[in-house]
Amino acid sequence: MERTPVIAVLEGGVLTLVLNRPQRLNAMSHGLIEAMNHELARARDDKDVRCVLLTGTGRGFCAGADLAGPGPGDPDAGGQPDLGAAMDRLFNPMIRAMRALPKPIVAAVNGVAAGGGANLALACDIVLAARSARFDQAFVRISLIPDLGGTWFLPHTVGDARSRALAMLGSAVPAEEAERMGMIWQVLDDAVLRDEATKLARRLAAGPTLSYAAIKTAINSAATNTLDQQLDLERDSQRELGRSADFKEGVAAFLAKRPANFTGR
Amino acid sequence: MPYEKILLAKDQGLATLTFNAPDRLNAVSRKMIAEIKSCWEDLAADSSVRAVLLTGSGRGFCAGADLADPDREVSATADSGAALEKYFNPVIRLMRTIPKPIVSAVNGVAAGVGMSFVLASDIAIAGKSASFLQAFARIGLLPDGGSTWFLPRLVGEQRARALAMLAPQISAEQAKEWGLIWDVVEDGELLKTATELARRLADGPTMSLARIKEAMNRASKNDLSQQLDVERDFQRELGRSEDFKEGVAAFLAKRKPVFKGK
Repeated sequence: MERTPVIAVLEGGVLTLVLNRPQRLNAMSHGLIEAMNHELARARDDKDVRCVLLTGTGRGFCAGADLAGPGPGDPDAGGQPDLGAAMDRLFNPMIRAMRALPKPIVAAVNGVAAGGGANLALACDIVLAARSARFDQAFVRISLIPDLGGTWFLPHTVGDARSRALAMLGSAVPAEEAERMGMIWQVLDDAVLRDEATKLARRLAAGPTLSYAAIKTAINSAATNTLDQQLDLERDSQRELGRSADFKEGVAAFLAKRPANFTGR
Repeated sequence: MPYEKILLAKDQGLATLTFNAPDRLNAVSRKMIAEIKSCWEDLAADSSVRAVLLTGSGRGFCAGADLADPDREVSATADSGAALEKYFNPVIRLMRTIPKPIVSAVNGVAAGVGMSFVLASDIAIAGKSASFLQAFARIGLLPDGGSTWFLPRLVGEQRARALAMLAPQISAEQAKEWGLIWDVVEDGELLKTATELARRLADGPTMSLARIKEAMNRASKNDLSQQLDVERDFQRELGRSEDFKEGVAAFLAKRKPVFKGK
Protein backbone atom coordinates (compact mmCIF):
# COMPACT_ATOMS: atom_id res chain seq x y z
CA MET A 1 0.00 0.00 0.00
CA GLU A 2 1.56 3.30 -1.04
CA ARG A 3 1.31 6.59 0.77
CA THR A 4 -0.76 9.39 -0.93
CA PRO A 5 0.18 8.87 -4.59
CA VAL A 6 -1.81 12.06 -5.34
CA ILE A 7 -1.76 15.07 -3.00
CA ALA A 8 -4.96 17.11 -3.27
CA VAL A 9 -5.35 20.65 -1.91
CA LEU A 10 -8.41 22.87 -2.40
CA GLU A 11 -7.71 26.58 -2.10
CA GLY A 12 -9.38 29.62 -3.63
CA GLY A 13 -11.62 27.49 -5.85
CA VAL A 14 -8.63 25.60 -7.29
CA LEU A 15 -8.23 21.90 -6.60
CA THR A 16 -4.51 21.25 -7.03
CA LEU A 17 -3.64 17.61 -7.73
CA VAL A 18 0.04 16.76 -7.34
CA LEU A 19 1.27 13.41 -8.69
CA ASN A 20 3.40 12.21 -5.82
CA ARG A 21 5.67 9.28 -6.59
CA PRO A 22 8.86 11.28 -7.16
CA GLN A 23 11.16 8.28 -6.71
CA ARG A 24 9.47 6.83 -9.86
CA LEU A 25 9.19 10.17 -11.75
CA ASN A 26 5.49 9.95 -10.79
CA ALA A 27 4.92 6.86 -12.94
CA MET A 28 1.28 5.81 -12.72
CA SER A 29 0.68 2.89 -10.37
CA HIS A 30 -2.83 1.53 -10.07
CA GLY A 31 -3.02 3.27 -6.72
CA LEU A 32 -2.21 6.60 -8.35
CA ILE A 33 -4.91 6.20 -10.99
CA GLU A 34 -7.46 5.17 -8.36
CA ALA A 35 -6.59 8.31 -6.40
CA MET A 36 -6.90 10.46 -9.55
CA ASN A 37 -10.31 9.00 -10.33
CA HIS A 38 -11.42 9.64 -6.77
CA GLU A 39 -10.28 13.28 -6.92
CA LEU A 40 -11.85 13.85 -10.33
CA ALA A 41 -15.20 12.65 -8.99
CA ARG A 42 -14.83 15.06 -6.09
CA ALA A 43 -13.92 17.88 -8.48
CA ARG A 44 -17.12 17.15 -10.39
CA ASP A 45 -19.38 17.01 -7.33
CA ASP A 46 -17.93 19.72 -5.09
CA LYS A 47 -19.26 23.11 -6.14
CA ASP A 48 -16.41 24.84 -4.33
CA VAL A 49 -14.06 23.40 -6.96
CA ARG A 50 -14.12 25.72 -9.99
CA CYS A 51 -10.80 24.78 -11.60
CA VAL A 52 -8.31 21.88 -11.37
CA LEU A 53 -4.52 22.24 -11.53
CA LEU A 54 -2.50 19.10 -12.26
CA THR A 55 1.27 18.89 -11.65
CA GLY A 56 3.97 16.56 -10.33
CA THR A 57 6.37 16.40 -7.40
CA GLY A 58 10.11 16.33 -8.04
CA ARG A 59 11.96 16.28 -11.35
CA GLY A 60 9.29 14.68 -13.50
CA PHE A 61 5.64 15.34 -14.38
CA CYS A 62 4.76 11.73 -15.08
CA ALA A 63 6.81 8.92 -16.62
CA GLY A 64 3.76 6.98 -17.85
CA ALA A 65 2.42 3.67 -16.60
CA ASP A 66 4.66 2.12 -13.98
CA LEU A 67 6.07 -0.87 -15.83
CA ALA A 68 7.76 -2.13 -12.68
CA GLY A 69 4.52 -2.29 -10.71
CA PRO A 70 1.85 -4.93 -10.83
CA GLY A 71 -0.75 -4.47 -13.54
CA PRO A 72 0.64 -4.32 -17.04
CA GLY A 73 0.58 -8.09 -17.22
CA ASP A 74 -2.86 -8.72 -15.69
CA PRO A 75 -3.67 -12.08 -17.28
CA ASP A 76 -7.05 -12.71 -18.93
CA ALA A 77 -9.11 -15.84 -18.39
CA GLY A 78 -6.91 -17.74 -20.83
CA GLY A 79 -3.72 -16.77 -18.98
CA GLN A 80 -2.69 -14.24 -21.70
CA PRO A 81 -1.55 -10.80 -20.50
CA ASP A 82 -4.37 -8.24 -20.91
CA LEU A 83 -3.26 -4.62 -21.07
CA GLY A 84 -6.76 -3.63 -22.16
CA ALA A 85 -8.30 -4.63 -18.84
CA ALA A 86 -6.45 -1.99 -16.81
CA MET A 87 -7.21 0.62 -19.49
CA ASP A 88 -10.89 -0.19 -19.22
CA ARG A 89 -10.98 -0.22 -15.44
CA LEU A 90 -8.62 2.67 -14.57
CA PHE A 91 -6.88 4.70 -17.26
CA ASN A 92 -9.66 5.37 -19.76
CA PRO A 93 -12.22 6.36 -17.12
CA MET A 94 -9.67 8.93 -15.89
CA ILE A 95 -9.23 10.51 -19.34
CA ARG A 96 -12.99 10.48 -19.97
CA ALA A 97 -13.62 12.11 -16.58
CA MET A 98 -11.08 14.85 -17.35
CA ARG A 99 -12.66 15.72 -20.70
CA ALA A 100 -16.19 15.60 -19.26
CA LEU A 101 -15.41 17.60 -16.11
CA PRO A 102 -17.52 20.79 -16.36
CA LYS A 103 -14.60 22.87 -15.06
CA PRO A 104 -11.29 23.81 -16.68
CA ILE A 105 -8.18 21.70 -16.03
CA VAL A 106 -4.76 23.34 -16.22
CA ALA A 107 -1.61 21.21 -16.42
CA ALA A 108 1.71 22.50 -15.09
CA VAL A 109 4.15 20.07 -16.70
CA ASN A 110 7.18 20.41 -14.46
CA GLY A 111 9.45 17.85 -16.12
CA VAL A 112 9.40 14.83 -18.36
CA ALA A 113 5.95 13.70 -19.53
CA ALA A 114 6.49 10.31 -21.12
CA GLY A 115 4.16 7.69 -22.55
CA GLY A 116 0.82 7.85 -20.78
CA GLY A 117 2.22 10.80 -18.81
CA ALA A 118 2.44 12.88 -22.00
CA ASN A 119 -1.14 12.06 -22.90
CA LEU A 120 -2.35 12.69 -19.36
CA ALA A 121 -1.03 16.24 -19.88
CA LEU A 122 -2.61 16.58 -23.34
CA ALA A 123 -6.00 15.61 -21.89
CA CYS A 124 -5.97 18.87 -19.89
CA ASP A 125 -7.67 21.96 -21.29
CA ILE A 126 -4.71 24.31 -20.99
CA VAL A 127 -1.19 22.91 -20.80
CA LEU A 128 1.66 25.00 -19.41
CA ALA A 129 5.14 23.46 -19.34
CA ALA A 130 8.53 24.22 -17.84
CA ARG A 131 11.21 25.01 -20.40
CA SER A 132 13.06 21.87 -19.33
CA ALA A 133 10.03 19.61 -19.79
CA ARG A 134 9.60 17.27 -22.73
CA PHE A 135 6.77 15.25 -24.24
CA ASP A 136 7.75 11.75 -25.17
CA GLN A 137 5.43 9.34 -27.02
CA ALA A 138 7.66 6.48 -25.90
CA PHE A 139 5.19 3.66 -26.62
CA VAL A 140 6.66 2.39 -29.88
CA ARG A 141 9.96 1.72 -28.08
CA ILE A 142 8.19 -1.08 -26.19
CA SER A 143 6.06 -2.10 -29.17
CA LEU A 144 2.79 -0.40 -28.12
CA ILE A 145 0.67 2.43 -29.52
CA PRO A 146 0.12 5.79 -27.79
CA ASP A 147 -2.76 5.36 -25.34
CA LEU A 148 -4.69 7.47 -22.81
CA GLY A 149 -6.06 9.25 -25.89
CA GLY A 150 -2.70 9.97 -27.51
CA THR A 151 -3.73 8.76 -30.96
CA TRP A 152 -6.66 11.21 -30.74
CA PHE A 153 -5.00 14.20 -29.07
CA LEU A 154 -2.01 14.26 -31.41
CA PRO A 155 -3.80 14.62 -34.76
CA HIS A 156 -6.21 17.09 -33.12
CA THR A 157 -3.37 19.31 -31.91
CA VAL A 158 -0.38 19.01 -34.25
CA GLY A 159 -1.92 17.57 -37.44
CA ASP A 160 -1.67 14.26 -39.21
CA ALA A 161 1.89 14.39 -40.53
CA ARG A 162 3.51 15.25 -37.22
CA SER A 163 1.30 12.78 -35.33
CA ARG A 164 2.36 9.84 -37.43
CA ALA A 165 6.04 10.76 -37.10
CA LEU A 166 5.87 11.37 -33.35
CA ALA A 167 4.05 8.09 -32.72
CA MET A 168 6.18 5.97 -35.04
CA LEU A 169 9.56 7.46 -34.24
CA GLY A 170 8.87 7.79 -30.53
CA SER A 171 10.97 10.93 -30.38
CA ALA A 172 10.74 13.29 -27.41
CA VAL A 173 9.51 16.83 -28.12
CA PRO A 174 11.10 19.60 -26.03
CA ALA A 175 8.60 22.00 -24.44
CA GLU A 176 9.44 24.94 -26.70
CA GLU A 177 8.89 22.88 -29.82
CA ALA A 178 5.65 21.54 -28.35
CA GLU A 179 4.45 25.13 -27.96
CA ARG A 180 5.44 26.03 -31.53
CA MET A 181 3.51 23.00 -32.84
CA GLY A 182 0.42 23.91 -30.82
CA MET A 183 0.65 20.68 -28.80
CA ILE A 184 0.60 22.78 -25.63
CA TRP A 185 -0.47 26.35 -24.87
CA GLN A 186 2.62 27.92 -23.30
CA VAL A 187 6.20 27.38 -22.09
CA LEU A 188 7.42 29.14 -18.95
CA ASP A 189 10.73 29.28 -17.13
CA ASP A 190 11.09 26.41 -14.67
CA ALA A 191 11.40 28.77 -11.72
CA VAL A 192 8.04 30.50 -12.34
CA LEU A 193 5.97 27.61 -13.71
CA ARG A 194 4.19 26.66 -10.52
CA ASP A 195 3.37 30.26 -9.53
CA GLU A 196 2.18 31.26 -12.99
CA ALA A 197 0.10 28.11 -13.32
CA THR A 198 -1.49 28.76 -9.94
CA LYS A 199 -2.26 32.34 -10.98
CA LEU A 200 -3.91 31.16 -14.17
CA ALA A 201 -5.91 28.49 -12.32
CA ARG A 202 -7.03 31.10 -9.77
CA ARG A 203 -8.13 33.38 -12.58
CA LEU A 204 -10.18 30.58 -14.14
CA ALA A 205 -11.61 29.66 -10.72
CA ALA A 206 -12.85 33.24 -10.42
CA GLY A 207 -14.30 33.18 -13.95
CA PRO A 208 -17.66 32.30 -15.52
CA THR A 209 -17.60 28.55 -14.76
CA LEU A 210 -20.72 27.76 -16.79
CA SER A 211 -19.15 29.41 -19.81
CA TYR A 212 -15.98 27.29 -19.44
CA ALA A 213 -18.07 24.14 -19.09
CA ALA A 214 -20.01 25.03 -22.25
CA ILE A 215 -16.74 25.72 -24.12
CA LYS A 216 -15.41 22.28 -23.10
CA THR A 217 -18.56 20.51 -24.24
CA ALA A 218 -18.65 22.48 -27.49
CA ILE A 219 -15.03 21.82 -28.39
CA ASN A 220 -15.36 18.16 -27.41
CA SER A 221 -18.32 17.90 -29.79
CA ALA A 222 -16.72 19.94 -32.58
CA ALA A 223 -14.42 17.07 -33.50
CA THR A 224 -17.28 14.92 -34.74
CA ASN A 225 -19.97 17.49 -35.52
CA THR A 226 -20.56 19.08 -38.89
CA LEU A 227 -20.51 22.89 -38.86
CA ASP A 228 -24.26 22.75 -39.26
CA GLN A 229 -24.73 20.66 -36.10
CA GLN A 230 -22.22 22.80 -34.22
CA LEU A 231 -24.12 26.00 -35.01
CA ASP A 232 -27.21 24.45 -33.42
CA LEU A 233 -25.18 23.41 -30.38
CA GLU A 234 -23.83 26.96 -30.01
CA ARG A 235 -27.37 28.31 -30.25
CA ASP A 236 -28.60 26.02 -27.46
CA SER A 237 -25.62 26.70 -25.18
CA GLN A 238 -25.77 30.43 -25.77
CA ARG A 239 -29.48 30.42 -24.92
CA GLU A 240 -28.71 28.74 -21.61
CA LEU A 241 -25.72 30.95 -20.78
CA GLY A 242 -27.71 34.05 -21.73
CA ARG A 243 -29.91 33.35 -18.70
CA SER A 244 -27.03 32.92 -16.21
CA ALA A 245 -26.15 35.36 -13.45
CA ASP A 246 -22.60 35.55 -14.80
CA PHE A 247 -23.77 36.73 -18.24
CA LYS A 248 -25.81 39.49 -16.65
CA GLU A 249 -22.82 40.49 -14.55
CA GLY A 250 -20.43 40.25 -17.52
CA VAL A 251 -22.51 42.59 -19.68
CA ALA A 252 -23.11 45.03 -16.81
CA ALA A 253 -19.36 45.11 -16.05
CA PHE A 254 -18.50 45.54 -19.74
CA LEU A 255 -20.87 48.48 -20.14
CA ALA A 256 -19.70 50.06 -16.87
CA LYS A 257 -16.05 49.43 -17.87
CA ARG A 258 -15.26 47.67 -14.59
CA PRO A 259 -13.93 44.14 -13.91
CA ALA A 260 -16.65 41.50 -13.69
CA ASN A 261 -17.34 39.69 -10.44
CA PHE A 262 -18.31 36.18 -11.56
CA THR A 263 -19.82 33.65 -9.18
CA GLY A 264 -19.96 30.58 -11.41
CA ARG A 265 -23.75 30.67 -11.58
CA MET B 1 -33.38 47.03 -50.24
CA PRO B 2 -31.42 50.11 -49.18
CA TYR B 3 -28.89 49.41 -46.45
CA GLU B 4 -27.98 51.69 -43.55
CA LYS B 5 -25.49 49.67 -41.51
CA ILE B 6 -23.60 48.06 -44.37
CA LEU B 7 -22.42 49.08 -47.82
CA LEU B 8 -22.71 46.85 -50.86
CA ALA B 9 -20.95 47.50 -54.16
CA LYS B 10 -20.89 45.25 -57.21
CA ASP B 11 -18.28 45.69 -59.90
CA GLN B 12 -17.86 43.22 -62.77
CA GLY B 13 -18.30 40.02 -60.80
CA LEU B 14 -16.78 41.28 -57.55
CA ALA B 15 -19.13 42.25 -54.71
CA THR B 16 -17.76 44.21 -51.76
CA LEU B 17 -19.67 44.08 -48.47
CA THR B 18 -18.52 46.68 -45.94
CA PHE B 19 -19.68 46.75 -42.31
CA ASN B 20 -20.56 50.39 -41.84
CA ALA B 21 -21.07 51.49 -38.25
CA PRO B 22 -17.59 52.95 -37.77
CA ASP B 23 -18.52 54.92 -34.62
CA ARG B 24 -19.22 51.49 -32.98
CA LEU B 25 -16.17 49.72 -34.49
CA ASN B 26 -18.82 48.03 -36.65
CA ALA B 27 -20.35 46.23 -33.68
CA VAL B 28 -23.32 44.21 -34.92
CA SER B 29 -26.73 45.56 -33.92
CA ARG B 30 -29.99 43.72 -34.65
CA LYS B 31 -30.49 46.10 -37.55
CA MET B 32 -27.04 45.42 -38.96
CA ILE B 33 -27.28 41.61 -38.77
CA ALA B 34 -30.67 41.71 -40.51
CA GLU B 35 -29.05 43.69 -43.32
CA ILE B 36 -26.03 41.38 -43.44
CA LYS B 37 -28.33 38.37 -43.76
CA SER B 38 -30.39 39.86 -46.54
CA CYS B 39 -27.21 40.96 -48.31
CA TRP B 40 -25.78 37.41 -48.27
CA GLU B 41 -29.08 36.09 -49.61
CA ASP B 42 -28.78 38.58 -52.47
CA LEU B 43 -25.15 37.63 -53.15
CA ALA B 44 -26.00 33.93 -53.15
CA ALA B 45 -28.82 34.44 -55.65
CA ASP B 46 -26.99 36.86 -57.98
CA SER B 47 -25.20 34.76 -60.60
CA SER B 48 -23.29 37.80 -61.87
CA VAL B 49 -21.37 37.85 -58.55
CA ARG B 50 -18.34 35.54 -58.73
CA ALA B 51 -16.41 36.56 -55.58
CA VAL B 52 -17.10 38.56 -52.41
CA LEU B 53 -14.81 40.89 -50.48
CA LEU B 54 -15.73 41.50 -46.85
CA THR B 55 -14.32 44.44 -44.86
CA GLY B 56 -15.16 47.15 -42.33
CA SER B 57 -15.20 50.92 -42.55
CA GLY B 58 -13.16 53.02 -40.14
CA ARG B 59 -10.71 51.70 -37.55
CA GLY B 60 -12.33 48.33 -36.82
CA PHE B 61 -13.33 45.28 -38.82
CA CYS B 62 -16.16 44.20 -36.51
CA ALA B 63 -16.28 44.38 -32.72
CA GLY B 64 -18.85 41.58 -32.33
CA ALA B 65 -22.41 41.79 -31.10
CA ASP B 66 -23.34 45.31 -29.97
CA LEU B 67 -24.04 44.99 -26.24
CA ALA B 68 -25.26 48.61 -26.11
CA ASP B 69 -27.77 48.04 -28.93
CA PRO B 70 -31.10 49.61 -27.89
CA ASP B 71 -32.90 46.77 -29.72
CA ARG B 72 -31.15 44.12 -27.59
CA GLU B 73 -33.47 42.26 -25.27
CA VAL B 74 -32.10 42.28 -21.71
CA SER B 75 -34.79 40.69 -19.54
CA ALA B 76 -33.95 37.68 -17.36
CA THR B 77 -35.77 35.42 -19.79
CA ALA B 78 -34.07 36.92 -22.85
CA ASP B 79 -33.19 34.29 -25.43
CA SER B 80 -29.61 34.68 -26.71
CA GLY B 81 -30.21 31.60 -28.84
CA ALA B 82 -32.99 33.26 -30.81
CA ALA B 83 -30.75 35.83 -32.53
CA LEU B 84 -28.32 33.06 -33.47
CA GLU B 85 -31.11 30.95 -34.89
CA LYS B 86 -32.74 33.78 -36.82
CA TYR B 87 -29.74 35.74 -38.08
CA PHE B 88 -26.18 34.77 -37.22
CA ASN B 89 -26.32 31.04 -37.93
CA PRO B 90 -28.04 31.46 -41.30
CA VAL B 91 -25.33 33.99 -42.24
CA ILE B 92 -22.51 31.60 -41.30
CA ARG B 93 -24.24 28.73 -43.16
CA LEU B 94 -24.63 30.94 -46.24
CA MET B 95 -21.00 32.07 -46.13
CA ARG B 96 -19.79 28.47 -46.07
CA THR B 97 -22.16 27.17 -48.75
CA ILE B 98 -22.33 30.09 -51.22
CA PRO B 99 -20.56 28.66 -54.30
CA LYS B 100 -18.21 31.64 -54.60
CA PRO B 101 -15.00 32.52 -52.79
CA ILE B 102 -15.11 35.01 -49.91
CA VAL B 103 -12.07 37.15 -49.08
CA SER B 104 -11.92 39.03 -45.78
CA ALA B 105 -9.83 42.18 -45.50
CA VAL B 106 -9.43 42.55 -41.75
CA ASN B 107 -8.72 46.25 -41.26
CA GLY B 108 -8.80 46.40 -37.46
CA VAL B 109 -10.14 44.58 -34.45
CA ALA B 110 -12.20 41.43 -35.17
CA ALA B 111 -13.82 40.46 -31.86
CA GLY B 112 -16.52 37.98 -30.88
CA VAL B 113 -18.76 37.13 -33.80
CA GLY B 114 -16.67 39.59 -35.85
CA MET B 115 -13.84 37.07 -35.58
CA SER B 116 -16.26 34.29 -36.54
CA PHE B 117 -17.03 36.17 -39.78
CA VAL B 118 -13.30 36.16 -40.55
CA LEU B 119 -12.94 32.45 -39.79
CA ALA B 120 -15.98 31.63 -41.94
CA SER B 121 -14.34 33.35 -44.95
CA ASP B 122 -12.35 31.32 -47.44
CA ILE B 123 -9.26 33.55 -47.43
CA ALA B 124 -8.54 36.15 -44.76
CA ILE B 125 -5.91 38.87 -45.05
CA ALA B 126 -5.26 41.24 -42.17
CA GLY B 127 -3.55 44.58 -41.80
CA LYS B 128 -0.59 44.51 -39.44
CA SER B 129 -2.46 46.46 -36.75
CA ALA B 130 -5.52 44.19 -36.83
CA SER B 131 -6.22 41.96 -33.85
CA PHE B 132 -8.40 38.99 -33.03
CA LEU B 133 -10.33 38.25 -29.87
CA GLN B 134 -12.73 35.49 -28.80
CA ALA B 135 -14.31 37.86 -26.30
CA PHE B 136 -17.27 35.65 -25.35
CA ALA B 137 -15.99 34.14 -22.09
CA ARG B 138 -15.33 37.66 -20.79
CA ILE B 139 -19.10 38.10 -20.52
CA GLY B 140 -20.00 34.55 -19.54
CA LEU B 141 -20.82 33.17 -23.00
CA LEU B 142 -19.17 30.66 -25.32
CA PRO B 143 -17.78 31.46 -28.78
CA ASP B 144 -20.53 31.44 -31.41
CA GLY B 145 -20.84 32.10 -35.12
CA GLY B 146 -19.21 28.68 -35.63
CA SER B 147 -16.02 29.59 -33.76
CA THR B 148 -16.16 26.50 -31.51
CA TRP B 149 -15.98 24.53 -34.77
CA PHE B 150 -13.53 26.68 -36.73
CA LEU B 151 -10.98 27.13 -33.94
CA PRO B 152 -10.03 23.50 -33.23
CA ARG B 153 -9.81 22.86 -36.98
CA LEU B 154 -7.57 25.85 -37.59
CA VAL B 155 -5.29 25.90 -34.57
CA GLY B 156 -5.87 22.51 -32.88
CA GLU B 157 -7.49 21.48 -29.63
CA GLN B 158 -5.04 23.10 -27.18
CA ARG B 159 -4.98 26.58 -28.65
CA ALA B 160 -8.72 26.45 -29.29
CA ARG B 161 -9.49 25.76 -25.63
CA ALA B 162 -7.09 28.45 -24.44
CA LEU B 163 -8.34 31.06 -26.92
CA ALA B 164 -11.94 30.38 -25.92
CA MET B 165 -11.41 30.19 -22.14
CA LEU B 166 -8.72 32.83 -21.61
CA ALA B 167 -9.95 35.24 -24.33
CA PRO B 168 -6.53 36.77 -25.08
CA GLN B 169 -6.15 39.39 -27.80
CA ILE B 170 -4.12 37.93 -30.69
CA SER B 171 -2.04 40.03 -33.09
CA ALA B 172 -2.40 39.66 -36.85
CA GLU B 173 1.10 38.18 -37.10
CA GLN B 174 0.36 35.60 -34.40
CA ALA B 175 -2.88 34.73 -36.19
CA LYS B 176 -0.96 34.14 -39.40
CA GLU B 177 1.72 32.06 -37.68
CA TRP B 178 -0.96 29.84 -36.16
CA GLY B 179 -2.90 29.46 -39.39
CA LEU B 180 -5.98 31.37 -38.28
CA ILE B 181 -5.65 33.61 -41.34
CA TRP B 182 -3.88 33.44 -44.67
CA ASP B 183 -1.68 36.54 -44.71
CA VAL B 184 -0.70 39.83 -43.09
CA VAL B 185 0.22 42.98 -44.99
CA GLU B 186 1.02 46.59 -44.10
CA ASP B 187 -2.12 48.49 -43.10
CA GLY B 188 -1.73 50.90 -46.01
CA GLU B 189 -1.56 48.00 -48.48
CA LEU B 190 -4.47 45.97 -47.11
CA LEU B 191 -7.38 47.12 -49.22
CA LYS B 192 -5.33 47.14 -52.42
CA THR B 193 -3.89 43.65 -51.82
CA ALA B 194 -7.21 42.14 -50.78
CA THR B 195 -9.07 43.75 -53.68
CA GLU B 196 -6.51 42.46 -56.19
CA LEU B 197 -6.82 38.98 -54.74
CA ALA B 198 -10.63 39.10 -54.77
CA ARG B 199 -10.58 40.50 -58.32
CA ARG B 200 -8.35 37.61 -59.42
CA LEU B 201 -10.83 35.14 -57.90
CA ALA B 202 -13.81 36.96 -59.48
CA ASP B 203 -12.10 36.55 -62.86
CA GLY B 204 -11.20 32.93 -62.11
CA PRO B 205 -12.77 29.55 -62.86
CA THR B 206 -15.81 29.98 -60.58
CA MET B 207 -16.96 26.36 -60.78
CA SER B 208 -13.53 25.11 -59.78
CA LEU B 209 -13.40 27.53 -56.85
CA ALA B 210 -16.91 26.51 -55.76
CA ARG B 211 -16.02 22.82 -55.87
CA ILE B 212 -12.80 23.45 -53.93
CA LYS B 213 -14.90 25.13 -51.25
CA GLU B 214 -17.43 22.29 -51.14
CA ALA B 215 -14.70 19.61 -51.11
CA MET B 216 -12.99 21.29 -48.14
CA ASN B 217 -16.35 21.52 -46.35
CA ARG B 218 -16.85 17.79 -46.80
CA ALA B 219 -13.26 16.88 -45.89
CA SER B 220 -13.91 17.91 -42.31
CA LYS B 221 -16.21 14.93 -41.78
CA ASN B 222 -15.23 12.48 -44.54
CA ASP B 223 -12.69 9.71 -44.24
CA LEU B 224 -10.03 9.62 -46.96
CA SER B 225 -11.84 6.94 -48.96
CA GLN B 226 -15.07 8.97 -49.09
CA GLN B 227 -13.08 12.08 -50.02
CA LEU B 228 -11.41 10.32 -52.95
CA ASP B 229 -14.89 9.62 -54.30
CA VAL B 230 -15.88 13.29 -53.84
CA GLU B 231 -12.79 14.38 -55.77
CA ARG B 232 -13.62 11.91 -58.56
CA ASP B 233 -17.18 13.20 -58.88
CA PHE B 234 -16.24 16.89 -58.81
CA GLN B 235 -13.38 16.38 -61.27
CA ARG B 236 -15.72 14.59 -63.65
CA GLU B 237 -18.09 17.55 -63.51
CA LEU B 238 -15.35 20.19 -63.87
CA GLY B 239 -13.79 18.25 -66.77
CA ARG B 240 -16.93 19.06 -68.76
CA SER B 241 -16.86 22.82 -68.04
CA GLU B 242 -16.00 25.54 -70.52
CA ASP B 243 -13.40 26.94 -68.14
CA PHE B 244 -11.54 23.61 -68.10
CA LYS B 245 -11.44 23.59 -71.90
CA GLU B 246 -10.19 27.19 -71.88
CA GLY B 247 -7.63 26.50 -69.14
CA VAL B 248 -6.07 23.59 -71.01
CA ALA B 249 -6.08 25.45 -74.34
CA ALA B 250 -4.43 28.50 -72.75
CA PHE B 251 -1.85 26.33 -70.99
CA LEU B 252 -0.90 24.57 -74.23
CA ALA B 253 -0.79 27.86 -76.18
CA LYS B 254 1.20 29.46 -73.35
CA ARG B 255 -1.27 32.36 -73.10
CA LYS B 256 -3.37 33.69 -70.22
CA PRO B 257 -6.74 31.95 -69.86
CA VAL B 258 -9.98 33.93 -70.02
CA PHE B 259 -12.41 32.25 -67.63
CA LYS B 260 -16.14 32.89 -67.73
CA GLY B 261 -17.27 30.98 -64.67
CA LYS B 262 -19.07 28.40 -66.79
